[in-house]
This record gives sequence, C-alpha cells and structure tokens, in this order.
Amino acid sequence: MASKRQIAANRRNARKSAGPRSAAGKRRASQNTYRHGLSGNIGRAERAAQVETLARMIAGDTTDAMILDFARTAAEAELDLRRIRQIKVACIEHMLAFGESNDPDPVTEVRDIVRFLKTGILPEPVDALATMPQEEPARSAEAVRRALPQLLKLDRYERRAAARRNRSITIIGRRQ
Amino acid sequence: MAKRNNPSSALLPTPPLLITESKDAYDQICHAIKQEIAPMGAVEQIYCEELAYLTWEILRLRRCKVDVINTEFRNALADLLKRLLQEPGPYDVRVGDEADRLAYAWFSDKDVKKYVAEILRRFQLDESTITAQAMRESIEDLEKFDRLLASAEWRREKALRCTADYRGDFAEQLRKSSNRFIDGKVVTLEHTDRKSSAA
Repeated sequence: MASKRQIAANRRNARKSAGPRSAAGKRRASQNTYRHGLSGNIGRAERAAQVETLARMIAGDTTDAMILDFARTAAEAELDLRRIRQIKVACIEHMLAFGESNDPDPVTEVRDIVRFLKTGILPEPVDALATMPQEEPARSAEAVRRALPQLLKLDRYERRAAARRNRSITIIGRRQ
Repeated sequence: MAKRNNPSSALLPTPPLLITESKDAYDQICHAIKQEIAPMGAVEQIYCEELAYLTWEILRLRRCKVDVINTEFRNALADLLKRLLQEPGPYDVRVGDEADRLAYAWFSDKDVKKYVAEILRRFQLDESTITAQAMRESIEDLEKFDRLLASAEWRREKALRCTADYRGDFAEQLRKSSNRFIDGKVVTLEHTDRKSSAA
C-alpha cells in the first residue's frame, strides 16, 4: 500500500500533468467515460434527442423539473433496454451464422501446446459451424446454448436498466 | 397529460426477433396483451411491450431448453448403453461401437427401440432414464437457461406490478382531482354561472 508521502508525491506529480498530448493519448482519454457501449454507434446528439422525445412522452406536459429529470432517466434506461435486446439477438444470430463467437483458436489445450512444441505442427482448427445441428429448431436452440455466456452477461445489464426505468416511473407516478 | 401520449413506433420499434422466429406470432402476443391491459399513455404502452417481449423471451428459453435436452438424447443413450452393455472384466472396445449404433438406430428402427427397452428393463430402468441422462449431460447449460428464465420471469412480474402501481397512482390522482373538483371547483363554477347570469 502507498505511504502518505507517496500519495502526496503522486498528487503533486499529477497536478503537473496537462492531460494527454499525443493524438493517440487524446483518443484513449476520450474513452475514459465509456462504460459498456450499449448506446451503440448512434451519435450523442441523436441519442440525446431520442431520450428527450421519449422523456417528454413519459412526463407529458408537466413543467415539474423533478418529473422531467426522472422521465429522462426512465427514457434513457428504456432505450438502453432496447439496445441490449438488439445485442442479444445479434449474439444468437452470430452463433447461427458462425457457430462460435470468436475466430477459432487452434491452440488452447495443454496437450496441443506440448504437441506443437515437440513437432511444430498446429492441430487442425475445429469448424464450429460444422458441429451445429442442420435442422430447426435444434439449430436455433444450439445457437442460444452457445450464446449463453454472453446472454447471461447481457441479462445483468438488462436487469439494471429495467430497475432504473421502473424506479423512475414509480417516482413519476407518485409525484404526478 | 402523460397518460395520453404513445411512443411512436419509430422511437421504440418492435424488439428484434431471430430470423427463425415468426413476427406474426410475436404480434399476436403483443396484440393480446394490449387488448387485455388497454394501455393508456406512454408508460403503460412501454410496460405492455415489455410484457410481450418478456413473454416471448420466456417461451424462447423454454423451447430452447427442451431442444437442448432432445439434442443430447442420442449421446445420452449411447453413454448409458456403453455402461449397461459392458460386462464385468476388461473393457471391451466393441461395446462402444455397438452402443453408438443402437443409439443412432433408436430414433428410426422399432426393433432397436424394443431391444434397447429390453436392455433397460434388465437393469430395472426405462426411457425416463435416458431423459435423466440427457439432462445430466447438459446440466451446466440447463442451469444457465434456468437463471435466464428466472430473471425474465422476475422482470415480467415486476413489470406487471409496476403497471398496477402506476395505474393505482393514476387512479389515486384521478380521485384527488375529482375530489378537488367536487370540493372547490363546483362552487367556483356556480359563482361563474351566477356572475354570467347576473350580467
């Protein structure tokens, strides 16, 4: 753990910094507030406009700043939810199309690595698509099964977004 | 008033479905829920769509869960037969091939199905043992499916409660404004009427 002197020195040094100077540094720093990318590739202005429109619909013609604020939170969460659901379907369809989420890595097993070190021969990559069932509905079920790890992660985001929206709407309902 | 606004379909489009799923079937669910709840305004509209989406997701996950067990059925049967056909003593490699052959033919050949049932009976087992084995072999995935299902079901319950709460708040708000009208505004109206009649 850093001592008080070290912490003070770090703070002094940090104060001397004028922020990132190189283009690459600035690019990296511009992503500092990037959280999960669920807003997708739509522009900030477009997203803000969508949030505002939906918030107005949720809040109605009220002038209560507090209600408007909660309506914005609810609208933002609702749009996040829509986006998460798009991503979920995209994950499953990716599995339907390719059979796996990433490029196959041929050397993952220890025995393959040992074999590669001994012989210099890489094992043949497994064609994930060939291992998918050919007929429906088994094929879709298999795609969902293979996408389960990603779906579970997205589910956490979905629950949080839904909770955020519900909380805001409950407050709006009580204040109106 | 917030209750009268409906979010446009451009702003909140239909959730994307898998290419193998029917949009008509989804729309039917959506329509049935909207008919039942008769949403008023943006918030209730959002909750209706949420309920339709979650219902659809629950159906999708349940269907996939069953299909995953069915897909595992052949492997499960082969594994089960390998253990049942293996006699005490050194491992016989041919047993594995025979089990694979029987498991493959079980789906189409009635005689093989009878023969397999006989083998199972010999060990006081039946076809439900194959299902159990299939579930055992896909238990990790089934557990993940269950987590997703539990989450979707919980969120559906929450959406229903939120709709009811919101409606309750709306009803309470209507009651209050109605009371205000009865307590105060009527008198004001009467005054207004008297003034206008006097004029």
